[in-house]
Amino acid sequence: MKNLKLASRAAAEQTVISVGDVAFGRDFVVMAGPCSVESEAQTLAAACAVKAAGADILRGGAFKPRTSPYSFQGLGLQGLKILDKARRETGLPIVTEVLDPRDVSWVAEFADILQIGTRNMQNFALLKEVGMSRRPVLLKRGMFSTLEEWLNCAEYILSEGNPDVILCERGIRTFENYTRNTLDLSAVPAIKELTHLPIVIDPTHSTGRLSLIGPMSLAAVASGADGLLIEVHHDPKTALCDADQALTPDLFETLMRQLRPLHAFMRSIAD
Amino acid sequence: MKLNEIRYKIDRIDRELLVLLQERMGLALRSKKFKAMISDPRREEDLLARAERLNLDLVERSFTRQLLATIIEESKRLQEEDRKLVAFQGEHGAYGEVASRQLVAGGAYIPCLEFVDVFRGVEEGDLDLGVVPVENSLEGAVTQVNDLLTTTDLKVIGEINVPVKHCLLATQGTDYREIRVVYSHPQALAQCRGFLMRNKLEPHPFYDTAGAAKMVARESPKASAAIASKLCAELYDLDVIKEGIEDGSSNSTRFLLLSREPYQGVGEKTSIIFAVPHEAGQLYDVLRLFAEANVNLTRIASMPLRSDPGNYSFFLDFEGARQDEKIAELLGKVEKLAIGMKLLGSYPADVSSL
Repeated sequence: MKNLKLASRAAAEQTVISVGDVAFGRDFVVMAGPCSVESEAQTLAAACAVKAAGADILRGGAFKPRTSPYSFQGLGLQGLKILDKARRETGLPIVTEVLDPRDVSWVAEFADILQIGTRNMQNFALLKEVGMSRRPVLLKRGMFSTLEEWLNCAEYILSEGNPDVILCERGIRTFENYTRNTLDLSAVPAIKELTHLPIVIDPTHSTGRLSLIGPMSLAAVASGADGLLIEVHHDPKTALCDADQALTPDLFETLMRQLRPLHAFMRSIAD
Repeated sequence: MKLNEIRYKIDRIDRELLVLLQERMGLALRSKKFKAMISDPRREEDLLARAERLNLDLVERSFTRQLLATIIEESKRLQEEDRKLVAFQGEHGAYGEVASRQLVAGGAYIPCLEFVDVFRGVEEGDLDLGVVPVENSLEGAVTQVNDLLTTTDLKVIGEINVPVKHCLLATQGTDYREIRVVYSHPQALAQCRGFLMRNKLEPHPFYDTAGAAKMVARESPKASAAIASKLCAELYDLDVIKEGIEDGSSNSTRFLLLSREPYQGVGEKTSIIFAVPHEAGQLYDVLRLFAEANVNLTRIASMPLRSDPGNYSFFLDFEGARQDEKIAELLGKVEKLAIGMKLLGSYPADVSSL
């Protein structure tokens, strides 16, 4: 890890990134919302539901990296405008994925946090572009990547002058196929040893199973993660993508009721 | 040409036709002020006959006649309605029109080239009401308008604060990533400098914000957009790429509503203009009257007197109406101290944006 001039633990104090009323690296931040922005009504319904349940930030994709070119690709600019409206109505900041370097400055006009997806972790042109933007970046771990490769990607962003990188563990590919990917929770304490950047967990894409999202979210809190990124859809059966792994607002609310006390408890025994 | 290109051009022409119709209806409404009767059969026959002299092979004479007759019918119907003619400066979609629509609902909004055209039009009775900007929260007084206020006989009968929310507008189907050049009034471009720089857009000055929107809609120059009000998007059929792109968050312009007759109700606010003799303590003596009467001033501005260089006229807005006993007494005292105090009027205060 000797190339990590800016990302290594020794290079700086714990990074704290303020977004709206919360700060990554200080608070436990919950980002929730639909996989993709499908319509104004669907997004506003999801936004109001996650806000009511106590989420801090709204997630939602306007540009979707899909395995098949024939799958729903996202609403693009129209989706960004809907997210903007959801922000105005709920007050929740927005995290959304950017896929194309040409889109970075435009997405930054609408979103509070730019997300780099797992498939784009090593898209260096894109990393440089978000490194030049003035928005915090949520950098997902590549599904085939080591911690060192991941942190080198964070280094790309930091070296362009953007100090606000949030790491997101979203599962890696192993031989296990019961779960969609294997959630590498050991990455949380490992990352804490290696870097000063905050790290959050995506229990949705890593497990790919509705029943595992709650337990792994609680495990994430216990592991010391700085937050969660969870998919919530007001009517998962009708969702245009990842229909079988989104929490309903009810399930999300139940989870939120368990998360906050557990986090307080973990804090209380930390010293 | 492919089908989508042909359709794109057809759409543009339709848009153009409608924008021109809007202009034609506005002119017809203005003509009413000069006619004894709305209907003028000889003029109608002239119009129809003249159009028929045109030899357009694809637009047949019978069709032309029918189309023009329909337009004339609609124009007469509009003239029958009792719409107030509200003048503003700028092209359709200017912030002056945004203010006009909020101040006078259901009016006919008439664009004027210059501020002086708004004043003269209302003074001479060609237009019913005028809407003019007096000051902007970032740029300060609009000197041309303040200057015209000192000499006009018109009365102020209303006010409104219009938040200036600039939008990036482009013709439908424009890929935002292709936009390179942005047209607008230099002041609007300056207010959006951060946005333009972040997205590597080149500012091109234009005489007017709404004029820039109109030009982009009409000519669709390649890789171009305009900065103007959201109203322009509706009027010129443009897409709003992003709303609220100005750098500062609180940018608003205060507009006054002008009429030949004073406001009939009591009102909550009063505007006056006065000058004082060039002697020590004169301005203070006037202001002291307001302090002693415990009247809250909401605006105080000064402007050089054109007729008397080195001397100034003062603009004062304050709470209260000319009908209030306290204010009437106060105004009497100011009149004695000042040279040529002018009461612009008492009118309802705009409390919406406080």
